[in-house]
Amino acid sequence: MKNKTWIIPMFCLFLLLNACAFDIVRVKQIPVSLESSHNPKSSLELQEEATVRMESGYSRTLKAKTRWEYVGKISNGDVFKTKDQVLTVEASNIYEAYIVISSEKLVGFYLPIEKSFSPLSEPKVLNMMMIEREQ
Amino acid sequence: MKALARLSVLFVLFLLVGCATTGPKFTELSSHITNVAPNLGRIYFYRTSVLGAAIQPEVKINGEGVGKAVPNGFFYVDKVPGNYEIMTSTEVDRKLSLTLDGGQTRYVRLNISMGFFVGHVYPELVDLDVGTKEIQNCRYIGKDK
Repeated sequence: MKNKTWIIPMFCLFLLLNACAFDIVRVKQIPVSLESSHNPKSSLELQEEATVRMESGYSRTLKAKTRWEYVGKISNGDVFKTKDQVLTVEASNIYEAYIVISSEKLVGFYLPIEKSFSPLSEPKVLNMMMIEREQ
Repeated sequence: MKALARLSVLFVLFLLVGCATTGPKFTELSSHITNVAPNLGRIYFYRTSVLGAAIQPEVKINGEGVGKAVPNGFFYVDKVPGNYEIMTSTEVDRKLSLTLDGGQTRYVRLNISMGFFVGHVYPELVDLDVGTKEIQNCRYIGKDK
């Protein structure tokens, strides 16, 4: 009987480790400063659906024909948001996100509440059309 | 063997009781729900899944309890435009951050996933068309219930 006393502490340790495992997936975030634009220069329309896979293992699809309004600039690229679909970045928690475009590639996501940039490991070329704002 | 059968019946009964959300359906109530004021935004919370019906954590917005994640239930809150963090807690905390504009309506689905001891309820922001469709058969549970 005495020999089995190690079972209880081991079980407790096992429980603790399992509890920790629930929060292990995190979104990579780099704090950034957004230079907001109150006079949007242009917007984009996505011509084709695009699916990207994030490091967290989750994937997101940007729907075709969604229109993305320019909201400002961060050091990683131009930031655009849309009202045509919900876009979030997900790991253990979920964050609303805007897209970040640089050289016509989706390079990552701007998280407006966390004020951070979540990069894609592989930037993705988007088939998009610029729509100039009417004066 | 008989005991096992009784236990199974009791378990099913327990699940069904958990599913029996009362209150008017969204379809019955929608014509009585006032439009959101232009200086406010609205967030609908709903849960369609009856899996883990006994697990009904509180839903918090920026730390303030606003309702419960009741299976087949929905409720809504109107808030001033801004940034919000929505959280549900079971054996772990699950968070969703979102922006809310004036006059905007957003839908947050309360999903359930596997946990170690109990299921985890987590909030997910869904598209307007998905939210408006899925909420139809949910029943109003009111705020802070």
